[in-house]
Amino acid sequence: MFASVMSAALVGVEPQPVRVEAHIGRPKETFSLVGLPDTSVRESKDRVRAALASSSFPFPNRRVTVNLAPADLPKGGSAFDLAIAMGVLAAAGSIPAAATRVVAVGELALDGSVRAVPGGLAAAVVAARAGVPCVVPAAAAAEARLVRDADVRPVRNLSEAVVAALGPPAAALDHPFSPTRPAPLADLADVQDQMLARRALEIAAAGGHHLLMIGPPGCGKTMLARRLPGILPPLDGDEVVEVATAWSAADRVWEGGSARPFRAPHHSASVASVLGGGSGRIVPGEVTLASGGVLFLDELAEFPPHLLDSLRQPLEDGEVRLARRGWSVVFPAAAQLVAAANPCPCGHLGDRVVSCTCTEGGTARYRRRMSGPLLDRFDLRVVVGRPHSLQGPPGESSASVRERVVRVRGFAGDRGAVNARLTGRTIDELGVEPEAAAMLAAALASGRITGRGFDRVRRVARTIADLDGAASIGEAHVAEGLALRSGP
Amino acid sequence: MSGDAYLRLAHAAMAPDRVERLIATHGDVTRVVEWVLSGRSSVSESIAESIRVEASRRRADLAAMDVVFDTDLPDELRGGPDPPRWLFRKGAVPEGPPVAVIGSRRATAYGLSLARRIGMELALTGRVVVSGLARGVDAAAHRGIVEAGGQGIAVLGSGIDVWYPRQNRALGEQMIATGGCVISEFPPGTAPEAWRFPCRNRIIAGLSRVVVVVEAAARSGALITARQALEMGRDVFAVPGDIDRPTSAGCNLLIRDGAFPVTSIEEMSDAIDSVVGPRSGGAVQAREPLWGLVGDVPVTLDALVTALGRPPGEVLAELSLHEARGEVIIEDGTVRLGRLVAQA
Repeated sequence: MFASVMSAALVGVEPQPVRVEAHIGRPKETFSLVGLPDTSVRESKDRVRAALASSSFPFPNRRVTVNLAPADLPKGGSAFDLAIAMGVLAAAGSIPAAATRVVAVGELALDGSVRAVPGGLAAAVVAARAGVPCVVPAAAAAEARLVRDADVRPVRNLSEAVVAALGPPAAALDHPFSPTRPAPLADLADVQDQMLARRALEIAAAGGHHLLMIGPPGCGKTMLARRLPGILPPLDGDEVVEVATAWSAADRVWEGGSARPFRAPHHSASVASVLGGGSGRIVPGEVTLASGGVLFLDELAEFPPHLLDSLRQPLEDGEVRLARRGWSVVFPAAAQLVAAANPCPCGHLGDRVVSCTCTEGGTARYRRRMSGPLLDRFDLRVVVGRPHSLQGPPGESSASVRERVVRVRGFAGDRGAVNARLTGRTIDELGVEPEAAAMLAAALASGRITGRGFDRVRRVARTIADLDGAASIGEAHVAEGLALRSGP
Repeated sequence: MSGDAYLRLAHAAMAPDRVERLIATHGDVTRVVEWVLSGRSSVSESIAESIRVEASRRRADLAAMDVVFDTDLPDELRGGPDPPRWLFRKGAVPEGPPVAVIGSRRATAYGLSLARRIGMELALTGRVVVSGLARGVDAAAHRGIVEAGGQGIAVLGSGIDVWYPRQNRALGEQMIATGGCVISEFPPGTAPEAWRFPCRNRIIAGLSRVVVVVEAAARSGALITARQALEMGRDVFAVPGDIDRPTSAGCNLLIRDGAFPVTSIEEMSDAIDSVVGPRSGGAVQAREPLWGLVGDVPVTLDALVTALGRPPGEVLAELSLHEARGEVIIEDGTVRLGRLVAQA
């Protein structure tokens, strides 16, 4: 009187199989759930009991024990409901044992219907690895189908789940992912003027460089930042799965398709919400949701310094490690950072239209909050002015900028990384002309740039050379790279 | 041979009015020299001694220099009052209408920066900048021309091989190397004595069709030069300044008395056009609009890119190269002219 059904959970962003074992013992109705379940999992018992009754399956009048294995894996959420119900039914002999050769995830409603849970993607990965079908809530089907070779069987209720588990393989779908059309991305053509900022944005996109824009309120910093995903190359199939998995780990469903994610946490956000955290299960934060795309910090100076400090390492490494006593998880954090800040507390320093009302001391204090090591990590620091005219012709469209960006990003394959992450040795191997090297050395010697700035200017210069179609870095490329670091 | 007599008399390094008096007394330069050689003149022994030196020996010493005598002097100079009888020159006389830029030796940072911009602007519009290669405004204006690739004429109050102040030697040599020249009424080796500078100023005024006064105190050499220029019928431009600032008092007085106030570099350039005629071919094409936009007050890179209407990458690269040479300072997303090396 034993059956087991596979389910799945995300550990960090790694889908892990969870075996749901059900055993039916002597008569005397009890229902116990073991295997490190947290409170939300323990509530499964009542939902499963009610859902079985609503679906006209008798709940066995016996001692029912359900174990979630491996026991050392912390489990939370309601995604195991469906697997528990099917395990209990199979152990009781109510359904054929063949129905247990699936990976099942889904929350059960009391009426027996299956509700969407974020685990669809994890289930599909585990199922594909095990070579069995996966039964997922209909709403999670799109997410599950992102996984290549997964036999996804979407269901609406418990009875359908049993039928689907026994049935023939689901027909392959024509479009492998993204049935929900992502909202069209904002286009750069909407941005008028702002030649300098557009140039910086294009370089940032092409090389994956972190970008800081300083300018008065309302000058279009946010508008520009939101248009960065639109000029980045779209996510490829594997990257979509990575993004969707990261979102799934945060109990969210990725609906952006192949568009790159764009996250803009508010400056009042907690460290845990930006970096990830949580007391029981560890939930990834904004930096992970933005991984593969853009993390936008508006009003950079308003963010608490300790938050900015703790962002430094993850952005450098491309991953964030969150440790709890005895174990830790690693979430991806390969986001491109774009930040915007006002030039002074009132925001109008250097504004052509509105005069600044700040004291010098106030402005200095404001600047100090952003200064230091974090600032040095922005490869590009530009001062953005108020648009000079809003009546001009529309700017160049995102599509045409993206062509250039995609061409430069294409080199990343051979080089092993986008330009923003190239090592000094790779840059040297690609070629640096003597005048360019001399200019860099002079800039370092005169204190125009720091040692870290030196590497960063070289990377930016590499991107500029790429956009220029040049094989090696020339003097003009370095010169522009230096000028693009001239912000505060 | 009259050239020999000129050369002998020029080497006496006498004050110009003294020379004129001698010539008036004796008739012409040759006669003056004859009288001195025969011991009949009343000149001091040191002057007589330098006149006694053979002209051929002087010529040998002047190998790398040119000496111009009165009929060969530039028309502007010769037509004015009290023209010099001779000029020693090192370097070539540049083509183009001469415009003097003069001002205080103790100019403010603003004055220095403006003098430099005016020098650049004049160079870029095909003018020849005339100044005294003194400290302050003079040197800044000369630096401006050299930086903008133009030519200038430095008129010295000492011999053309005596650099005063000494720090400006490199600048003077650079001017010669870039197609300009250094001239003086006094023979090589003449020390920079105070009384020689007003003589020098009359040549600056006489040589130029327009005189621009950048900063001048109420009692200053620059103001005297400007007044001399007005008397010669030259057009005088003055940069207005704060009424409480002593270094601008002279300029403000000139404006009160009818000098043309410089309210913008472009306007000044246009006004100079109306005096000396339209800008000539080559130099105008070399004009870089960048220098009309970058000044002492920081301008944002963003505004600059927009104003120039050129690809931002190109503008940034160019600015950065200028910065590497110390010509501009890029800071906080803005750009301004680089500080001149402090003038002692």
